[in-house]
Amino acid sequence: MTSQYERRIESVGLAKKKGLNKFNQRFAKLYIIVLLLQLLICSLLALLMMFKDFVTAYSVLFGGMIYLLPMCWFVFRLWMNRNLDNPQKILANVYISKAGKMALGVVLFVVVFLKVEPLDPLALFITYIFLQITSWYLQLKLNERFLKL
Amino acid sequence: MAELLFIAVALLLGMSAIAGAIGVTLLGGKFLEGAARQPELVPMLRSQFFIVVGLVDAIPMIGVGMALYMLFAG
Repeated sequence: MTSQYERRIESVGLAKKKGLNKFNQRFAKLYIIVLLLQLLICSLLALLMMFKDFVTAYSVLFGGMIYLLPMCWFVFRLWMNRNLDNPQKILANVYISKAGKMALGVVLFVVVFLKVEPLDPLALFITYIFLQITSWYLQLKLNERFLKL
Repeated sequence: MAELLFIAVALLLGMSAIAGAIGVTLLGGKFLEGAARQPELVPMLRSQFFIVVGLVDAIPMIGVGMALYMLFAG
C-alpha cells in the first residue's frame, strides 16, 4: 500500500530514492546543453561578423563571454554543491552563487569597457541581450517539466 | 552634464540592484515555503529553483551593463 506522499512523488515523475540523482542529472544535462548552444550561437555570430568588420566580430565575442563566463561560474557552483538536502543551505548556496555571478559580470563589463579599444558597444549589448533571450527560450523549451507543474 | 551622467548611472545601478534583489528574494521565499510545506518534493523544487533563478537577473544585468558603459566608455 503506497502512501499519499509516495503516490504524489510518483505522479511528478520521481522515484523515492532515485529522485535526487535523477534531478541532478537532468539539471546538469539541461544547463550544459543550454550553455553549449549559447557558445555555438555566439561563435557563429562572431564568425559572421568577421565578414563585416573585425571590431564588430570581437565585440560580439566579448558580449558572449561576458554572459557565458558568469553563467558557467554559477552553474559550476550549483553543481559542486548539488548534494545539499537542507533547503536553507541550498538557498544560501544559491544566493552566494548569484552574488558571485553578478560581481563577475560587473567586473567583466568594467574590464572590457576600460581595456578594449576600439569597441562596438551596440554589437556587444545586442549579443548579450540575445544570449539572455535564448537562455529563457531554451530553458522553457528544453525543460518540459515546467509545463507539468 | 557630468553630474547628470553620474545620477543616471546611479539610478540605473540602484534600480537594477533593487529589481534583482526583489526577484531573487521572492523566489527564495517561495522555495522555502514550498520546501516547508512538502519536504518530499525538495529535489524537484530545487531543480526548478536553480533553473528559474538563473533567468531572474537578465534585465537587471542588462541595465548594469548599460550603466557601466555610460560610466566608463560613454
